[in-house]
Amino acid sequence: MKGRRRDIRGAIFRLVLLASLAVAFITLGTLLFDVAGKGFKFLDPRFFTSPPSLDPQEAGARPAILATLYLGLLLLVMTVPLGVGTAIYLEEYADKKRWYNRLLEVNIQNLAAVPSIVYGILGLAFIVRGIGLDRVVLAGALILTLLVLPTVIIAAREAIRAVPDSIRQAAYALGATRWQVVSRQVLPAAIPGIATGSILALSRGIGETAPLIMVGALTYVAFDPSLLGPFTALPVLIYQWTSFPQDDFRALAATAIIVLLAMLMTLNALAIWLRNRYQRRW
Amino acid sequence: MVSTTPIHIDALAAERPQPGTREVVFDIRDLTVSYEGNPAIRSVTFEAYRNFVTAIIGPSGCGKSTFIRCLNRMNDLIPGAVVEGTVLYRGEDLYGKDVDPVEVRRRIGMVFQKPNPFPKSIHDNVAFGPRVLGMTKDLDARVERALKQAALWDEVKDRLKKSALSLSGGQQQRLCIARCLAVEPDVLLMDEPASALDPIATTRIEDLMHGLKKDYSIVIVTHNMQQAARVADMTAFFSIEQGEEGHRAGILVEYDVTSKIFTQPSDKRTEDYVTGRFG
Amino acid sequence: MRITLQQDLDSLQANLLEESELVLRALRGSINALREADTELADEVIAFDDDVDRLYLKIEHGIESLLARQTPVATDLRFVLAVLHSNLHLERMADLCVTVAKLTKLAHGLPLDEELIEGFDEMASRAEEMIRVALDAFVRRDVEGAESLVDLDELIDRTNRRVVEHILELGGDPALREWGLRMIIVSRCLERIGDHAVDIGEQTAYLVTGEFREFTDASHPERVDT
Repeated sequence: MKGRRRDIRGAIFRLVLLASLAVAFITLGTLLFDVAGKGFKFLDPRFFTSPPSLDPQEAGARPAILATLYLGLLLLVMTVPLGVGTAIYLEEYADKKRWYNRLLEVNIQNLAAVPSIVYGILGLAFIVRGIGLDRVVLAGALILTLLVLPTVIIAAREAIRAVPDSIRQAAYALGATRWQVVSRQVLPAAIPGIATGSILALSRGIGETAPLIMVGALTYVAFDPSLLGPFTALPVLIYQWTSFPQDDFRALAATAIIVLLAMLMTLNALAIWLRNRYQRRW
Repeated sequence: MVSTTPIHIDALAAERPQPGTREVVFDIRDLTVSYEGNPAIRSVTFEAYRNFVTAIIGPSGCGKSTFIRCLNRMNDLIPGAVVEGTVLYRGEDLYGKDVDPVEVRRRIGMVFQKPNPFPKSIHDNVAFGPRVLGMTKDLDARVERALKQAALWDEVKDRLKKSALSLSGGQQQRLCIARCLAVEPDVLLMDEPASALDPIATTRIEDLMHGLKKDYSIVIVTHNMQQAARVADMTAFFSIEQGEEGHRAGILVEYDVTSKIFTQPSDKRTEDYVTGRFG
Repeated sequence: MRITLQQDLDSLQANLLEESELVLRALRGSINALREADTELADEVIAFDDDVDRLYLKIEHGIESLLARQTPVATDLRFVLAVLHSNLHLERMADLCVTVAKLTKLAHGLPLDEELIEGFDEMASRAEEMIRVALDAFVRRDVEGAESLVDLDELIDRTNRRVVEHILELGGDPALREWGLRMIIVSRCLERIGDHAVDIGEQTAYLVTGEFREFTDASHPERVDT
């Protein structure tokens, strides 16, 4: 009983884990420090209020920031109802043994794995040109919706599945109809999970660059965006600025990265806070 | 010595309902349930009586839960479940063409094995049933009445807004009973209601059943045959048998007054089971 | 808690008390029949035994059902076993009263001895008292009260010895001697009733202490102290 067995393998394994963790942190840390260092120079109120300009001293990111916010909002309004609705259908109403439902299941996973550039091309062909929407904010939002929707569906489905069946049984046994069970028991219990998943999907969406480029966000836009007007978004602006020769533009790009990262981290923090606050221990 | 003139005293006859004297609440005939073609219970036939506690006992897998779920049409929710035979509730066919399962479930409530309160407040748990059924008048009074009937009111009256999940296991189960009672059912079905509870909580539930049977008819499934012996007026013993097609399914072996089942069972299989020599 | 069990236990005790009342009636009836040499009353006493047997079986079935259904333990179990034994003792007492009644019928027409009849009266009164004390001690779970039965039984035993001596001195008239022989059995019956009452007292002590012991033991004639 006395004495300690030397667990060499366990110790090595721990070291490997710590090393992986270190690699991730160091890489990320280095990037962040670099960006913060470079971008700090231009981080002032003017960055948020002025439109871009060919003069780096005057340039700001206001239209892009606004456009990213609009896109985020549109994304929220469009993906959540669609995604949650689909998830409810799949989990509560669909007969899982029917072939078309099984097909649906498999394909949602596939859709989530499709590269974003493909969505961009899809958007260009069908939304910009096909229905003639042209290169506007709404088109960008629609494409991002398609991109992000599978993720929202999967997250909502997981949240709905996490609601124990015993709750449904109890509700049915009291004489509730299927709709009452879903609307009064399943959904309310799944909302924290759905919210967390949606916010995470959202933050992925507003960070996407490729689809927006395809839809024409790579333009020089100096005015505030409107729903049916041309636009540019933060990720695209970053891409744009890094391709300009002046060093100052690279610094501006770093500033924009800081702003974008701040937005994404806030969203993620919100998602984590929501999850911790409302997590159910069944 | 006992007197030599034989005195035939069938003390049990005083308890056993004579046909025609006690009101029948469930008249079950040739009930057979299959899942995906495999029979779970076969040709079950008996009558359950009003204001009685009727217990269903038997080994694991003999179809007790399947059986009880037929009585409030909960088997409808299982895709692939086929119910054949007749279940008459107060003379009406439960599976008749125009019968609304929602109304069936209002009249015939169910309490489950593991307490399953909703993740809501104590008040909202009990109020859920009346709300979904549109019984919203005097809701608070209804909630109070149900909690009193379930012998839980005194313990929770000061914290109705607190989460139901903050209650102990035994309290949660009584809350589930109150939830059923709030919609004013006629029958209470209980699927192993105390198997997840400690002995003291179990005794409280059993005492509660004793009080509830004045106003309700109770059918309880239990794998604890001592519990059936303690609480039930009539006991049905189910066992598993191989049918002609080769499938093993649950069948009703014996149904009688509880004291007879536990003192002089008619069927050897019953005797083997209650004495613990089964298998 | 355990409402049904408590109701069943209370019901058993109530039935036992009722049975004791029936036994007291049978005893009183049989002694009256003896004293008055009343064969009709004796027949009534014999028929009355059916009532006692009915109650005896009711209690037996009640115990069987209670043991199967409620699985009593500890004090509850001892109580049920004590009722089981006491039930039997009461039933035996009733049978002894029937024997006395039968002997009254057999002795009909024979001469009787007044002094002996007085002796039997005394023994019967003592026995009645013992039955009441035994059941009272049982209900109150009173071990001392139960043990007091030993002293009461001693009085019956003494009277029994006196009666036997007296009968041995009867002599002379063959009819009277025949009557005397019959009366020895009557005396024995009354003495046995007293013994059964002591047995019920022992059940009370068992119920309370968990230990079964005989209050007096023939192989240890000195009285067992508490």
